[in-house]
Amino acid sequence: MLREIWKHRAVYAAISPFYLLFGIFGLFPIGFSLYLAFHKWDGIGDMTYNGWGNFRYLVTDNEFWQAVGNTFAIWVYSTIPMLFFALIIAFLLYAPFVKMRTLWRVGFFLPNVTSIVAVAIIFGALFANNFGFLNYLLQLLGLPTIQWLNVPWGIQIAISSMVVWRWTGYNAIIYLAGLQSIPHVLYEAAKMDGATGAQAFFRITIPMLRPVILFTVITSTIGGMQLFTEPQVLVGNDGGAGASGMTIVLYLYRESFVNNYFGYGAAVGWGMFLIIALFSIVNWKLVQGKK
Amino acid sequence: MKTVRWLVLCLAFLTMISGCSGPLSSESHSSESNLPNHKKITLTLWYWNRSIDDELLTRAEKQFPDIELNTQKIGGDFKAKLKTTLAAHSGEPDIVALNDWMVELFPSADRFYDLRTLGADQFKDQYLEWKWNQGITPDDKMIAFPMDTGPTALFYRSDLFEQAGLPSDPAKVSATIRTWDDYMTAGEQLRQKVGSRSFLADNIVNVYNQMLAQNTDLYFKPDGSYIGNQSPHIRLGWQTAVAFHKKHLLANADGWTPEWNASVNNGKVASFVGAIWMKQVLTEAAPDTAGKWRVARAPGGDGNLGGSFISILKSSKHPKEAFEVLTWLQNPEHQLEAYQKIGLFPSTPGVYDDPAMEIPEPFFGGQATGLIFAASARNVKSSYFGERYPVIHGIVTRRLANVAKQDADPDALWTETQDRIERELQR
Repeated sequence: MLREIWKHRAVYAAISPFYLLFGIFGLFPIGFSLYLAFHKWDGIGDMTYNGWGNFRYLVTDNEFWQAVGNTFAIWVYSTIPMLFFALIIAFLLYAPFVKMRTLWRVGFFLPNVTSIVAVAIIFGALFANNFGFLNYLLQLLGLPTIQWLNVPWGIQIAISSMVVWRWTGYNAIIYLAGLQSIPHVLYEAAKMDGATGAQAFFRITIPMLRPVILFTVITSTIGGMQLFTEPQVLVGNDGGAGASGMTIVLYLYRESFVNNYFGYGAAVGWGMFLIIALFSIVNWKLVQGKK
Repeated sequence: MKTVRWLVLCLAFLTMISGCSGPLSSESHSSESNLPNHKKITLTLWYWNRSIDDELLTRAEKQFPDIELNTQKIGGDFKAKLKTTLAAHSGEPDIVALNDWMVELFPSADRFYDLRTLGADQFKDQYLEWKWNQGITPDDKMIAFPMDTGPTALFYRSDLFEQAGLPSDPAKVSATIRTWDDYMTAGEQLRQKVGSRSFLADNIVNVYNQMLAQNTDLYFKPDGSYIGNQSPHIRLGWQTAVAFHKKHLLANADGWTPEWNASVNNGKVASFVGAIWMKQVLTEAAPDTAGKWRVARAPGGDGNLGGSFISILKSSKHPKEAFEVLTWLQNPEHQLEAYQKIGLFPSTPGVYDDPAMEIPEPFFGGQATGLIFAASARNVKSSYFGERYPVIHGIVTRRLANVAKQDADPDALWTETQDRIERELQR
């Protein structure tokens, strides 16, 4: 085998940067974080072995479980509307009656390339308690204002809306690709058999899109579990009022880089890994259906 | 042909790798001229924007001809960058500016020079005693040298105070609003006369922070034991802050947010206690209210919040020279200059009588606020923070904020807070 590698050394050399960089910046940190999870470390001084201490602390840590709860809430508030809108947008983009499709596609994708920090600042101005744009609109309509950033669901809706704004177009493009891969003959055959548009949608489009939907559900699960910048910029390192915007990664960041519990931060990271893995499996089962 | 292919590959790889190891700093202006005829010592200095006067650093090169000062203005999260560098044991600067979070570095005091071994004591008389003491660890190592300080005072809107029938002249305000209770009474009067258009203070956490900034016993004793559950100052700070909320004296505008800026600019906040560096924050946030603000002595006594320090890392090969540069940069004359140029308040009381302190400031209606802060700085009491101060303080203030924002029960929260701290201290 080594001789085979040597024979194709130029090719292996060509692909080696990825593996080298992955080894240095991917594999090593993963291994190190596992090592770190079993130690106490303030980031500068000596590490001391802590056994399962960090994990024991983790399972009894109210703030961690609150962060898990918050993350799930935000995930639900964002993923369901996001994927729903994305599907509708994809369907429209694919529809023959829409003109200037490329322009629309670019337009829907554009939010995805905007800096999250900028987005969070704008959304902060929209949802601000006293001088926010949304409350200004509510006042114009003669409605009572809402202290968006003081109530748990308000903070979570604000963060979710950022996610929805940013990722709907992205998912729509993926759905569009999925739609384009469905053979036309299926629709033609359905038409000949007298199927309505709705029937074609639910009996052909959705089942054929299932793998794509599964893909978007899993990527948005991972993305949703890793939510960080949006809450950090919107409500700060402490997750805002009542820590309702405290997500798992924000908690990891605060414990490590603000409070200097690097060992514990690593343990939080591994806790999060387990949760994402479990959750992805559950999603897989749900979306795969009975098969 | 084959060699060419290999060369191209290697080159491509090298460019990729080298892309990862650019200079750490965002801005760096070391002098590249003067090739070493005689041996020049290079000293690296890390600071953040507006912590040291840039022009003074340029002058330092002339002052020390044998030293090449490589000044690096570190942007972004300064603390995280410093800690990462310390953890990596490489690329450490010789001299480093530190903010008030430097207490967190006390457990790593061995990574810094004890400045007294370099002769710091000869300068001790020139600096505020309480400030000087803050840079000394419990086991008596001086790892941080005073830069600027953050004496606190009461910022208030003279026009709104007048409307409320309160004294509006700084001297009178200082004389009548002496305690936090006086201040609260003034707030109630303001509420009656001006209504809910203006609130006395900005937010509950600031009230608490300011009370702590005036006190000596905080969360820890120098031996490391926790006293936050019995310290009368902590409990009183909590209760007073809660009382401010219960009496509806707070605008609930969190610091460092657009809301705060809007609230001070449109008169929703009639006053707040803050450190001198709030002058700049306020001036930038509330341009529409220029001329209406005044500064009086803080209710409850003088305090300090923030301020910075400067240290020499143990990894430095030239501590003596670094110490010379450091003490030159922070000598009383230059501290006064930094005050005039970028508003850093000196920690050298010798310059407090300088005419520069008496320059009238238009934003504050022509008042010379320097005098108020100078008087405040002289009176600050020494207090001990302890390296876990930031974590514990964070736990308390987060819960306190919930009292104001979500109307949480303050007594239940106090108990919960103490339980949480107890858990925190065990890990």
